[in-house]
Amino acid sequence: MSRPSLLGFLLIAPALLMIGVLFLYPLGFSLGAAFTAGGQPSLTHFEKAFELYSTDILFTIFVVVVSTLLTALFSVLIAGVLTLSETPWLVAGLRALYRWPLFIPFIVAAQCMRTFLAKNGLMNNTLVATGVLEPLQATSFLDWRGIIITFVWKQVPFVTLMLAGAMASIDRATIEAGRNLGASRPRILVELVLPQVAQTLLVGLVLSFVTMLSVLSVPMMVAGSQPTMLTVDMAFRINSYGDYATANALGVISYALSAAAAWIYLRHNVKREVQA
Amino acid sequence: MAGTSASIAIAIDDLKVDYGTQRVLHGVDLDVAPGEFIAILGSSGCGKTTLLRTIAGFQKAAGGAIRLFGQDVVNTPPEKRGIAMMFQSYALWPHMTVLGNVGYGLRLRGLSKADTRARVEIVLRMLNLTGLEDRKVTQLSGGQRQRVALGRALAIEPDLLLLDEPLSNLDAKVRIQVRAEIKSLQSRLGFTAIQVTHDREEAMTMADRIVVMDAGRIAQVGAPKDVYDNPVSPFVASFMGADNTLDLDVRQGASGLEVMAHGQDAPTLWNGNAPMGAVTAYFRDDVASIQAPDAKSEGAIVLPGSITQRTYPGGHYRYVVATKDRHFTVTDDRYLDLGHPVGLRLPLESLHLFPSAQ
Repeated sequence: MSRPSLLGFLLIAPALLMIGVLFLYPLGFSLGAAFTAGGQPSLTHFEKAFELYSTDILFTIFVVVVSTLLTALFSVLIAGVLTLSETPWLVAGLRALYRWPLFIPFIVAAQCMRTFLAKNGLMNNTLVATGVLEPLQATSFLDWRGIIITFVWKQVPFVTLMLAGAMASIDRATIEAGRNLGASRPRILVELVLPQVAQTLLVGLVLSFVTMLSVLSVPMMVAGSQPTMLTVDMAFRINSYGDYATANALGVISYALSAAAAWIYLRHNVKREVQA
Repeated sequence: MAGTSASIAIAIDDLKVDYGTQRVLHGVDLDVAPGEFIAILGSSGCGKTTLLRTIAGFQKAAGGAIRLFGQDVVNTPPEKRGIAMMFQSYALWPHMTVLGNVGYGLRLRGLSKADTRARVEIVLRMLNLTGLEDRKVTQLSGGQRQRVALGRALAIEPDLLLLDEPLSNLDAKVRIQVRAEIKSLQSRLGFTAIQVTHDREEAMTMADRIVVMDAGRIAQVGAPKDVYDNPVSPFVASFMGADNTLDLDVRQGASGLEVMAHGQDAPTLWNGNAPMGAVTAYFRDDVASIQAPDAKSEGAIVLPGSITQRTYPGGHYRYVVATKDRHFTVTDDRYLDLGHPVGLRLPLESLHLFPSAQ
């Protein structure tokens, strides 16, 4: 290795500065604030956070994990159809439609879902009008189900985009070799195609997981009631009480959840490196 | 058409294939007997791989029939045709071991894990890959991957094996070895094989019959020697290596044909068969020989020329002989000086003669 070059350092300095000022400093500050009370190291804020919000922590984990799993399921299905289907109109239609939610911000998606999933919203009205539901049976989906539906609707296109791209780039002959030996298309998808793009799927899901963990508008607008997600709790602690300490503690818990997802991703990566 | 008989492994009848609005196969007819090894030979874009992929079911036919042992499969999806195929890229599944790859077809057929493993072991032994069952395919050499791909196709004991340029990714030495191995496996196991290749020597050494394709049509079908010695068209002649050409004029004389080449003083008399009028002769380098410029030769054209280049590739000398308007490459055992006047002897019976207008 040659000695560190000053010019090289200067080249990356602006980027480093941005990371330092806009990310590392606030991160360090909030970590510090979360673990201190009155200038002394303390877990008081975490005790308070767990005391008040343990249900919401579990609720957040539940919503994000279920959303991630459903996102995986639908993305694999759509990317699978795009890659393996031999029905041209189905592929063309799906290809044209599936990306749309990508261009809609979370807050707009949340607002759309409010009008769609409410007790007298578009979905129930349609079901009642078509005779599927009696008016009295109509219930509101504006709770954990609404959040999951919005998250999945918003994240499936993103993961599908990555996955369909990865599937399109694998050697087409590996798919044909499976068909040639007599494999059905679902088997080809699960046994031959998916393992070859597992890395891309995992990256997409980890990114989705972290994104969903940090969205404030959707839980706030779609499900205002308790229990709710940690982002809403953090906003509430700050806006209503100016309680940055507890908000920071909740933030650290969110970091820990993101880190868990990142750890799964890294562990998988290392395993692949070792195998290769 | 005889293709309806079940005693024929594959009967292809007037098969047409389109890519969009472009027709790439213009009515191909071919019958393949059980146990036969067929090589489809042609240059890039002639439709040979399309023909193979259409037989396998990956390419839809625009018309015609493909009968496998009497059954029309033209509308059957590839997974239901029961034909094994070996791909040019090998198409091994990189996330699986050798056992996973070779045993996949057996697993699809419902064999138990133990039975699959036992059967895969037999296949691997046959292909000299014993002990590699649990190796990842990404850790294998090119030759080993090629054999795993062959093993995967053979593990299901197919009646019919399609091979898409299976040797093109191997280096020359391994290629010759694997060529012999595939051929001997085929005769031992008795499956019917259709191999696509652009390598003439590969087709000649492996196949019972060669199918030469040109621009989406079959140009000639026959035993290797037959196609080599008696090409039916200028395309087949030059594809089989007879790529030197010479314009001749053929007339009916009093005692046989009179053949005259440009630069000759007198016609050559010949008792063979040839088209009349302007004729183009196609021939390989090895039919030409050097003799004295004024020597008369029965049934052979002698073109006067001189030696312009001499090389020694080993065993014999290779000369470039300049005639009046052309250069030809000839080999000879004798050492001759540059500029030495010679006669280039071309025996008429070894030339492939076609009317020039063709």
